[in-house]
Amino acid sequence: MNFIGEHSLWALAGRFFTYLAFTGALGTALFYGLNWLRPGACSGPDELGRPKAAHEPFLRAGRGAFALHSIGVVGILTVLLTAILSHWFEFDYVWRHSSRDLPLEYVFSALWEGQEGSFIIWIFWHAALGWFLVRGAKTWEHGTMTVVGLVQLVLTSMILGIYVFGVKIGSSPFVLIREMPENLGLPWTTIKDYMIRIPAFRDGQGLNPLLQNYWMVIHPPTLFLGFAATLLPFAYAVAGWIERRPLEWVTPALPWAYFGVGVLGTGILMGGAWAYEALSFGGFWAWDPVENASLVPWITLVAAAHLMFIVKKKKTSGGLTAIMAMLSFLLVLYSTFLTRSGVLGDSSVHSFVDLGLNGQLMLLLGLFSVGSLILLLVRWRSLPRSNADEAFSSREFWLVIGSLVLLISAVQISFSTSIPVLNKLIGPEGLVPILGEAMAPPTDVFRHYHSIQIPVAIVVSLFMAMVPFLRWDSTPNALLKRILPSLLVSLVLGGLAAWGLKFDQPMYTVLLITGMFSALSNLDLWLRYQGGGWRSGGQALAHLGFAFILLGALISNGKKVAISQNPVFLHKDFPANEHILIPLGDTVSMHPYWVEWTGERVEGHFQLFDVNFYGTAENQSPGKKLFSLAPYIQMNPRMGNVREPSTKHYWDHDVYTYVSFADMRSPEEKASGWTEEMDATMGRGEEVFVFEEYMMRCDSIIVKSAQMIEETGDLATLDMAAKLTLKHMDGRKETIEVPYAVRGNEASPGEAEFVNLGVKVRFDGVSDEPGRFKMKFWRKAPEEQEFILLQAFIFPYINVLWLGVVLMAIGTALAVAKRIAGPKPAPKP
Amino acid sequence: MKRNHLIALVVIAFLAGALMVTIQDASTYATFEMASKKTPESVTVVGQLDLEEPITFNSSTSMLRFTAVDKDGARSIVYYNQPKPTDFERSEEITLTGLSSGDTAFFAQNILMKCPSKYADEAQFSSK
Repeated sequence: MNFIGEHSLWALAGRFFTYLAFTGALGTALFYGLNWLRPGACSGPDELGRPKAAHEPFLRAGRGAFALHSIGVVGILTVLLTAILSHWFEFDYVWRHSSRDLPLEYVFSALWEGQEGSFIIWIFWHAALGWFLVRGAKTWEHGTMTVVGLVQLVLTSMILGIYVFGVKIGSSPFVLIREMPENLGLPWTTIKDYMIRIPAFRDGQGLNPLLQNYWMVIHPPTLFLGFAATLLPFAYAVAGWIERRPLEWVTPALPWAYFGVGVLGTGILMGGAWAYEALSFGGFWAWDPVENASLVPWITLVAAAHLMFIVKKKKTSGGLTAIMAMLSFLLVLYSTFLTRSGVLGDSSVHSFVDLGLNGQLMLLLGLFSVGSLILLLVRWRSLPRSNADEAFSSREFWLVIGSLVLLISAVQISFSTSIPVLNKLIGPEGLVPILGEAMAPPTDVFRHYHSIQIPVAIVVSLFMAMVPFLRWDSTPNALLKRILPSLLVSLVLGGLAAWGLKFDQPMYTVLLITGMFSALSNLDLWLRYQGGGWRSGGQALAHLGFAFILLGALISNGKKVAISQNPVFLHKDFPANEHILIPLGDTVSMHPYWVEWTGERVEGHFQLFDVNFYGTAENQSPGKKLFSLAPYIQMNPRMGNVREPSTKHYWDHDVYTYVSFADMRSPEEKASGWTEEMDATMGRGEEVFVFEEYMMRCDSIIVKSAQMIEETGDLATLDMAAKLTLKHMDGRKETIEVPYAVRGNEASPGEAEFVNLGVKVRFDGVSDEPGRFKMKFWRKAPEEQEFILLQAFIFPYINVLWLGVVLMAIGTALAVAKRIAGPKPAPKP
Repeated sequence: MKRNHLIALVVIAFLAGALMVTIQDASTYATFEMASKKTPESVTVVGQLDLEEPITFNSSTSMLRFTAVDKDGARSIVYYNQPKPTDFERSEEITLTGLSSGDTAFFAQNILMKCPSKYADEAQFSSK
């Protein structure tokens, strides 16, 4: 049947590209794999150093298959983007994630809002990075591309959307709504012009208002590029270990590891910037499981990237390096599982909904984890043995220790994040019931994570400060003296800063000092010992950036002040909360500011609340106006209202505020003055209990005048009234008459008000029951002073954090560029 | 390799320590009855909002008071010292973290709501 207005051909094209991408990935894995694993192929380049298999037909077939795969991926993206841009709401994905009024820039956010879309962007980056391997991996091309092919095969299967023997394989974004399982067989799916007839198809559900933020345009693709970057070290490691080259893979993988560190780190903190700007969590990091799930692979990738230097320079630590590199990619897969399986539903605010793909996700995760583990076990013995201990003053020794410290950090975060998974496995209702009662996530997550992560940060910052000064093999004592100046300066500066900022927790003070130490010593290293050039600056700048991130996070979080303190005392054990009530037009004290709420206005989907901040004058009264903020509530009738903050940025602190409560009723509703409408049927002498505090009694029904039409005997005019007495429980009493009139065929109900008691009555007419009358009552809405509740924080020195992110991104970019450019050409004589 | 083994041992010891701390920090899922026995320990209660009972919000203290039903069907008054979450009434499940005051009420420090999936409304596609 041809459905009118439906773009089923495009849906077909989307499906076609999906199958093309899938078969392309299969071909990539197959052809590269066959060539790679054929006998004698695993021995690297030939005698002349050329890639051995350059002329193999399988190689061409593998490349061709990967090209087809890439065409498929680009095709998928194109079709989906076209569908969203053209508002084809017959596509389930488009209907769910976009709407007609969606601003153009958020089309991309809509593209990756859903699971299917985020898989697509991930697959896309893998395909893009794969081409770098095809072009530049040389002898590693077969091995790495076989791994890439396998990964792509599994990932594209997640968007296949087919049923094999009744088992759902993947979820396709190209399913039309009428093809959804829950709609199959419904009568409307056979109507030819259903798209025109059913109003629901005229507009989509719209993008979650929380995601309608510019950070959401760039955060997901950056994060997924970071995730995708972990595939390359993984692919190199797997290829290297299978080819019995357990150390050599490190050299080509190293720049990619740093590329991943830079991009993933930036991507994670872009998410933090989004949370800080668009969410009313009150901060940039909340230790939410979904945030943690992206942080952990970054931590292990950092460890892997640093260990790679040891392998490259010293030909040791090959095992630990491979473990960390593989773990990073596996943790990305695990993070995918955590956020998409719905297992975090109880513990996270922003996980995806369950698409019924848990089995497939677990299979994917299990396949790669078990495979990597077996590979490591089987080939562990091919690692070169070294019997000598690394010297205590050597760089390699401390790099290993540092990476183990990072591992401890990663394990703790993973463990706590995985509590819902552990419950599924060993909880009372789990697969193997071991635990007596289900574990719940810690109630105070900040205290929980900080108890381990702050000591880790202290150790890591100390290592960052000192290890760059160490040499391979061993370091002469004289060199160690180079860190003394920065150590002394940071002790003094850090101490002063801790005193100035009134740090009361010793751990925080220590981290403040060690953080400054690592910032200063890396700056010192770069400027005094490495010449201060851009080419040499990558390492020092990246370290400096990370030290700034630590410092910025520490100060802005540790010294975050809630200036909106509710002055109402509740109980000594139950502290008043941090929401301040501001009546309209009033100015209230919010130390060190005075705030005034001047009104609200509606702009598009936003209801903005104008708040003025004043300084405090000498006599403690409001001083001069400093700035205005407009925190807003995003109104979305389909998904609920979202509170969004507004922030005043100063160079050394931010004033962050959001409206935590506001009366969102429409102005008409607020102004009507009468609420709690209720119906009653009353007869003479009857009583009704109204509004839980009044007794309404119908004293009598008075007919004042009545005229009949003589010929017919019908009523021509009638004037009557009900005499009602309203009695309050406290004894107050009031009697009124409510008129009712009929003129021919027209009845006019009358209204009257108990002025003193604040109740209004409408006499609606005669009831079906003889002798009884229909009435409506309202009570007067209490005189409400309009107010909002506001929460406001001061985040000191949060710009240090953002500066750190930029520095780290630049630093890693420089480091990667240096690795790609190769060794510095010898200076000309 | 002796020192390397020693390092491995130290790392494992630290890991074990970190995990111990972590496990001890984990709270438990409880019912209101279990919560009242565990006071003053914080627990997590999963339940539902009782829409029959009034939900009152005192704006001057910004205190929310409502009644929740836990998985055993037991009811408890809950105080939440925060403004009312948006779409609170629409939640189909609420996860409360906090502590019980004994037998009178539950003091929630944090509320996580599960709202009905916006996709669930298939009825929207019926042709009228």
